[in-house]
Amino acid sequence: MQTTNTSVIARRVKISDDYATLPYEAGWASEAVTFIQAEGDHPDLAIAVEVSPDGINWVRRTGATLSASQQIVDLPLAQFGNWLRVVITGATSEQPARVLVHLNLKG
Amino acid sequence: MQKFLSYDRGLERFNPLARVICYDDFDTGFNGWLDLTPNYVEENYESFDSVVDLSSWAPNQLSSASMRFASSHGSMEGTYSLKVTTAPTGGPHTEPPRNGSMGHAIKRLSRFGNPKLIQIEAWYSYTPVQDREGKGEEDIRAIGFFFDVQDSEYRYMPGVRYVNSLGGKLVKKWQYYQVAEGVTPEDWNFGVKDGWCVPGVDNQWYGRRFEDGSGDGYQWLPGGEQDLVYNESPDKINWMYLRLTVDIEKREYVELQSGDQVFDMRGIKPTLTEGYASIDNLINPIFFIETDSERSVNLYLDSVVYSVE
Repeated sequence: MQTTNTSVIARRVKISDDYATLPYEAGWASEAVTFIQAEGDHPDLAIAVEVSPDGINWVRRTGATLSASQQIVDLPLAQFGNWLRVVITGATSEQPARVLVHLNLKG
Repeated sequence: MQKFLSYDRGLERFNPLARVICYDDFDTGFNGWLDLTPNYVEENYESFDSVVDLSSWAPNQLSSASMRFASSHGSMEGTYSLKVTTAPTGGPHTEPPRNGSMGHAIKRLSRFGNPKLIQIEAWYSYTPVQDREGKGEEDIRAIGFFFDVQDSEYRYMPGVRYVNSLGGKLVKKWQYYQVAEGVTPEDWNFGVKDGWCVPGVDNQWYGRRFEDGSGDGYQWLPGGEQDLVYNESPDKINWMYLRLTVDIEKREYVELQSGDQVFDMRGIKPTLTEGYASIDNLINPIFFIETDSERSVNLYLDSVVYSVE
């Protein structure tokens, strides 16, 4: 039987600037899906998943947009090595957002 | 029924009490250790009013202890440990914990076997993230462990905290959970009236903290100086042993063991509070780590044993 785990890597965080989740070690898993939700009004948000050799230096891997009319978007990822994070841009002090990000791992 | 028990060889590095309830090796998964969060039971799934943001703690991870210039460190036996981590958001040690500046791992259990003693043991290590030059030991404020216990009368939290560094200066002394005389609920909740946590509940977040590292919820353990291993660099971790034994019949501490050093805690009592609704017989073990600076720090748990007698 496989192991699976869902971590909440941004828990209802209010953002008004570029935002990145903390570095997350996912090396035990072979597949990952991130779910990015915005609670309440928000501007168009650009979402990216990044990978890293060390949790310090980051490479952009895949991206999506969570438009102002959407509440949730998902981004699947494989062959990510060990480190993952989600970067969210587009929130400002005039148009903030409250984000909830889940990371599901399986392997 | 006649029983023949064959103990896992991994238990050789522990000294459990008569009945092992959980032996959690994080090579096999999270084993039910999870992030510590508040109760999202108010309107719009909000939580109770708190000066400390209890939603802000970093997510626990299964870690291979991958280092920047070294390699994956692995765990004590195997590849994975449970990493309890923080955001790079440490503030002054005299203030309430800042958002994300602590990490916690909790397991939710309940009383079984009518025990007199409960005990946690762990093999663990800690280090900061190597995201800047230098040695880094002084960026780790504290690591700690406590039980959240409720019996038929009282809720109480026996626990210990290793104060490693305060304001960038190494301290390296143990404290235990006990509320000082005269602390009011308003003191405890940093001015919030009718806060959810009464004095003696959740000392890791609440209670005023003072310049010398003492606090409303923490007392210095007599003779509690100890120089734990910090191996000269953020990318080298050495696995260390911790044991805390509590007498839940007498509601008092028994012993703290750290490495081969044993601290006799008989006669010291945690602070008893009136029981909360619906949680009689709850026993939750919780580990935590605190950062002392604007740098993430990590507590790695190789394996944990919870036993009773």
